[in-house]
Amino acid sequence: MIIDAHVRLGRGREVVLEPEALITSMDRLGIDKALVAPDERCIAVDDREGNDRVAAAAAASGGRLIPYAVANPWRGARAVDELRRARDAGARALCVDSVLQGFDLLDGLLDPLLEFARDAGWFVYVRTGTPPSALPLPLASLARRFPDVAFVMGRSGATDFWIDAAPALRYAGNLFGDTCYAPWDTVLAALAADPEIGASRLVFSTDSPYTVPEAELSRVTDWPITDTERAEVLGGVVGRLLG
Amino acid sequence: MIDFHTHTPSWRTSSWLGGVSFGADEFVGFMDVAGIERAVVLSHDGLFDPSPSTNDDLAAFVAEFPDRLLGFGTVHPRLEGAPEEVARMMGPLGLRGLKLHPWLQGFSMHEASLDPICEVLAAEGGMLLSHDGTPPYSTAGQIAALARRHPTLPVVLGHGGLHDTWREALTLVSETENLYLCICGTPPYAAREILAKAPPHKVLFGTDAGLSDRVSQDYAVARVREIEGWGITPEQKQAMLVDNPRALLDGAR
Repeated sequence: MIIDAHVRLGRGREVVLEPEALITSMDRLGIDKALVAPDERCIAVDDREGNDRVAAAAAASGGRLIPYAVANPWRGARAVDELRRARDAGARALCVDSVLQGFDLLDGLLDPLLEFARDAGWFVYVRTGTPPSALPLPLASLARRFPDVAFVMGRSGATDFWIDAAPALRYAGNLFGDTCYAPWDTVLAALAADPEIGASRLVFSTDSPYTVPEAELSRVTDWPITDTERAEVLGGVVGRLLG
Repeated sequence: MIDFHTHTPSWRTSSWLGGVSFGADEFVGFMDVAGIERAVVLSHDGLFDPSPSTNDDLAAFVAEFPDRLLGFGTVHPRLEGAPEEVARMMGPLGLRGLKLHPWLQGFSMHEASLDPICEVLAAEGGMLLSHDGTPPYSTAGQIAALARRHPTLPVVLGHGGLHDTWREALTLVSETENLYLCICGTPPYAAREILAKAPPHKVLFGTDAGLSDRVSQDYAVARVREIEGWGITPEQKQAMLVDNPRALLDGAR
């Protein structure tokens, strides 16, 4: 079972991915399922429209697409209401992008959404990278405040904050790394070899449509790890996070 | 193709960049597998210990394959004698340019100590390649400000803005006559956008090879292979991989 842990559907500033194209790509690459989030605009401001779109795409996919829910935490209680509505429409996890949504991971705005995720049994994907509001270590601190919620460190800090990925994963045991963009022969191998981390703390994603999906899958299939470890990275771990 | 961003092993320093050691013959073997004809090889140890001996090591490495490898040494701008070392790099050592990594080496591109260094580099027909894409010391705007102070010196953004500052890199390359951009670690969608909008003669490509846990530099081979999936035209590919780096390297001497 190969599960792509993060894809965005719709039109971004420089990218576009419609459900039909995603399913075609998944068929070509042998990817069984994909977790799909709305596009950049919907993550930032039009969360309801985005949640409806990914719910519709998932409903029409025969179980191949699994929807994330998004809600801008600046909307407060209305954001939680939107997550509840998205859950009722089929959403299975929360997707967060503090850069697009304009908040700091530690400013408290996200807390009500995380409480909802905890109560719903959702894991939470958080996009990380270079921006000060999206760094791996603050995410680890946030994850420690919500020990009953699993967090995926989207992009694992790519690229220069890869140096913080391992310390973040060590600091928060409920935090999971993401394989996209990370070379197996530098970053991923180091994370998997770390006795406090290991392959069972990594999830595969293509981060489509920002990447070349074949290349993202190849970085895991080319990686000389055991079949058991590969199965964990490609789908086992995120399958358990989905419950 | 010409790979405009590779590294020697780290022979003397232990760093988080890690990687296995390899010889020049093994590196050329990787290049053959990846289809790379020539490579710009950047100082590695020198980023942590910018002493002249690290430039000597780099020069010895590239001298084993002078038709395939071109070395870019380094200095720390605040150290006495840095301009003279640049002259030695470009003269007796036969290196072709200067690599700076401002956040790793710990200085700002606005420091006046960089000016005599850049003056020597320009006079010797060299060029500057700087790490970019990482605040607080390595943004395209900061590097472009240095480039504007030295308009006859070709300056290359070594990473095309990486994931979070590539739009800034694209803007500054378009605005700054002597600023070039190497797509290296830049995500595919950004690479495609850069190639569509940047001045066509200013875009280069690099793999960042040399940091792998394996002599075969697997991630670098994969990065070359990945280009086929970017969705760019044959003309863009030819310019980025062959024509632009060749013109820049040939024009700098």
